[in-house]
Amino acid sequence: MKEGFRQAMAWLHTWTGLIFGWLLFAIFLTGTMSYFKEEINHWAQPEVPVRAHDPLASLTLAQNYLQEHAPNAGSWFIRLPEAREPGLSVGWRVEGAGRRGFIEKNLDPATGAEVQARETRGGDFFYRFHFQLEMPHPWGRWLSTFAAFIMLLGLVTGIITHKKIFKEFFTFRPGKGQRSWLDGHNAIGVLVLPFHLMISYSSLVIFMSLVMPASIIASYGDNTRAYFNDLFGASEEVKVAGVAAPLLPLPALYQAFQEQAPGSRHGWIEVQNPGDQNARVRFSRHGGDGIAYQRGGGWVFDGVNGTLQNDSKTEAVPVVIAGGMYGLHMGMFAGPWLRWLYFFFGVAGTAVIGTGLVLWLGKRQLKHAKSGTQPFELRLVEVLNIASMSGLLLGVAAFFWANRLLPVGLEGRAGWEVNSFFLLWTLSLMHAMLRPGRRAWAEQLGLAALLWAGLPLLNQLSTGQGLIHSIPAGDWAMAGFDLTALGCGLFFAWGARKMWRPPVLVAKRAPKAAKAASANLIESEVS
Amino acid sequence: MLAVTLFGFAGFACLCLAMEKHYKDLLETAPSAARLRILRIAGWLLQLLALSLAVHNSGWAMGLVELFAVLMAGVTLWVFLLPYQPRLLLGLLGLSLVLGPVLLMLPG
Repeated sequence: MKEGFRQAMAWLHTWTGLIFGWLLFAIFLTGTMSYFKEEINHWAQPEVPVRAHDPLASLTLAQNYLQEHAPNAGSWFIRLPEAREPGLSVGWRVEGAGRRGFIEKNLDPATGAEVQARETRGGDFFYRFHFQLEMPHPWGRWLSTFAAFIMLLGLVTGIITHKKIFKEFFTFRPGKGQRSWLDGHNAIGVLVLPFHLMISYSSLVIFMSLVMPASIIASYGDNTRAYFNDLFGASEEVKVAGVAAPLLPLPALYQAFQEQAPGSRHGWIEVQNPGDQNARVRFSRHGGDGIAYQRGGGWVFDGVNGTLQNDSKTEAVPVVIAGGMYGLHMGMFAGPWLRWLYFFFGVAGTAVIGTGLVLWLGKRQLKHAKSGTQPFELRLVEVLNIASMSGLLLGVAAFFWANRLLPVGLEGRAGWEVNSFFLLWTLSLMHAMLRPGRRAWAEQLGLAALLWAGLPLLNQLSTGQGLIHSIPAGDWAMAGFDLTALGCGLFFAWGARKMWRPPVLVAKRAPKAAKAASANLIESEVS
Repeated sequence: MLAVTLFGFAGFACLCLAMEKHYKDLLETAPSAARLRILRIAGWLLQLLALSLAVHNSGWAMGLVELFAVLMAGVTLWVFLLPYQPRLLLGLLGLSLVLGPVLLMLPG
């Protein structure tokens, strides 16, 4: 009975893992990149200058700019430069255009001049892709949430299937073909398990109102807005008084905010009804000030006489827990060290999925090693494995190359960056169909190595902000991107070299080793 | 955070050495049962020390997050370097056992 259960779990693990593995690989890879979303944004818009931070001066510049360009707007938004986001950005809603007419501008934090940055989606593209998959709303979110559920299922069934979880806790035996892949798959899965569980469970929590709306609909009917207002606090908008009154200088309010909440950071600064008697200035909470992410609240000041209107309110326990899950998933509180660890654990998650896909195929290919041909379904899985893994690496590289090579003034430039991502990804699928498996891996990884390792050089040649410039200037976001790209390139080159060599060892040993290995596998996995 | 990392790493290393198979592979002698038990106790005590240090430094919420992060990173490094650089790892174990307490002694 017990063994039957384990068999069933192994079956579930194997097949859901295969069907969703390709998608999960892409979700995990782009999600991992999103831990450096701001740094990628910075690389993708090298025109945004990095200046020494002076919040008071920047606020004055922003206020002057908005006063001049949008005196009649219903509300202004200002984001001050931060360690991870060097730009000063201002935004406003165009009068009468409702929620859609939103204009955003980048300013030079030191001079207040508009910065003409290239049009790009930068790191936001990968961030959005990892849960919307470039599909129409809400299908992408549904699919990625379902994939997260499968990931959670894969983790639980994986633990049940993996019999010797404690006995082989520290075990990794390289150089033994399938055995090593399974060891690697198990070890990365088990050792980084808390992260894997957190990431996949929190994704479900983040989208729970989408996935399990029944309880909300039961209480609120179609009025979901009321639900979110009750949950997070409605954005209390004050009515326009119709009486003109000058807005206080924002730096003065900034100092009042700092006295109110010493040591707290803030996110967006929102000015409602600027120039009106009923002006309100809100310093929203900074997403990274604690682990639990709090949406509502912030510190609201009267924009005319400077009194504090409401303090940041405390939230109900379930909201804090959900916010905690959200915060843990996003890792906005993480400093540089913790952020890198987040990134590596994300890579580990990607690797668990990748090794799983390789294992599925390798195990079944061994049975056909003698005959030299493989049935259609194995070939199909092989092609999809190659396209979904090395092909995705090529697509991401294509996005960054397009960012540097497309003319800055091109119409719909940001869209073309995305197109090149999908174009190269599709080409890699076709390439994988035309070439024998190992060769396809080698060629795609080789090209990926060239493209990734070439990014620092391309950056230097096209913008002059390559490593020669960024390291002496202390622009670590830019330098970090280039160095990481170089590191990835070298890693892919190592992979390509492994694949390029004819598999002499494997071919000779295959018949014997295959039997032993597959017998071993079956024994250790699901005996 | 560095001290937490070092104690956590040393803790996992001891727990690994507390398994007869790994002890033999790494140190090339057969361990006595008493020694394995000491290693196991030492490993758990080091983990406990890492936990209390993390919570003391950063509070429960942030401390636990940091602890989990550095533990996962440390043990992953240990397991995947083990077949390639066992001596280096034993050196790192020694280093963290020395450097960890030193960091604790330092003021601030």
